[in-house]
Amino acid sequence: MRSHITLSPKQLGLAMLIVALGGGAGTLIRDLLLKINVYAVPRGSAVNPSTDWTHQIPWVLLAINTIGVYVATDLLRHRLRHHDPSDPMRLVLVTGFLGGLTSYSGLFSDFAAIWHLSIGGCLLVAVGAIAAGLFAGVLGLGRHRRRA
Amino acid sequence: MTLFLVSTAGALGCVVRYLFEYFARRSHPTSRQWATVAANALGTGIAGFAAYRLTGMSDAHVREIVLTGFCGGLTTFSSALAVPVILQREHHWAHAAALVTTTPLLCSGMFVLGMSIAH
Repeated sequence: MRSHITLSPKQLGLAMLIVALGGGAGTLIRDLLLKINVYAVPRGSAVNPSTDWTHQIPWVLLAINTIGVYVATDLLRHRLRHHDPSDPMRLVLVTGFLGGLTSYSGLFSDFAAIWHLSIGGCLLVAVGAIAAGLFAGVLGLGRHRRRA
Repeated sequence: MTLFLVSTAGALGCVVRYLFEYFARRSHPTSRQWATVAANALGTGIAGFAAYRLTGMSDAHVREIVLTGFCGGLTTFSSALAVPVILQREHHWAHAAALVTTTPLLCSGMFVLGMSIAH
């Protein structure tokens, strides 16, 4: 696919298909990992929900998101640095797979559950999630710098 | 079957986000990052609506397809933070700081708005 800002309808359709393939795979893996988390770490039942806000922390999603930022930063600064945003490799890995694997909305759904139990705890987890993501991004840059 | 539908919905969400970014980049090449912010805000808004509206046990599969699938695909955490980190490395400090602070604040507002509309 040639690197133009404006794509032809055929190129745009192909780009959408590539993003869909990567995004579908990323979403599937995230869903499976979150299901494992639900079985491994029970958060209380619907009848007796846990009242401890620390039990509601979405550790698996936080880990997925943090690793996703690290990998995305590393890819965008190193392997895919000179690739156009319409490059198939960038579309399938960054826009598709990592975009589907990581989730902002999922975090907010989990934050809402924590908010009902502890507002301070919710703010702490939210700030921690952003800080962990930024730290992972800086680590991704650092890896690039050591290689250069 | 639910896994397949969640994956398909996630793929659809990713394509919508890509189209946001594509049309933003086409009309204004430097505004692509803000299209990601808009996609994240829209996705969390829909998630707020769905989280409030789809609470019954009978809605569990629909909830998973909409929340984990479509909204999860539409929103992205990796690009939302990787791009500002790269921007600050290239000395675009104000742009990076604006992206990092705007996304969570806007998403919080949209999530609450979505819940309010569902209510």
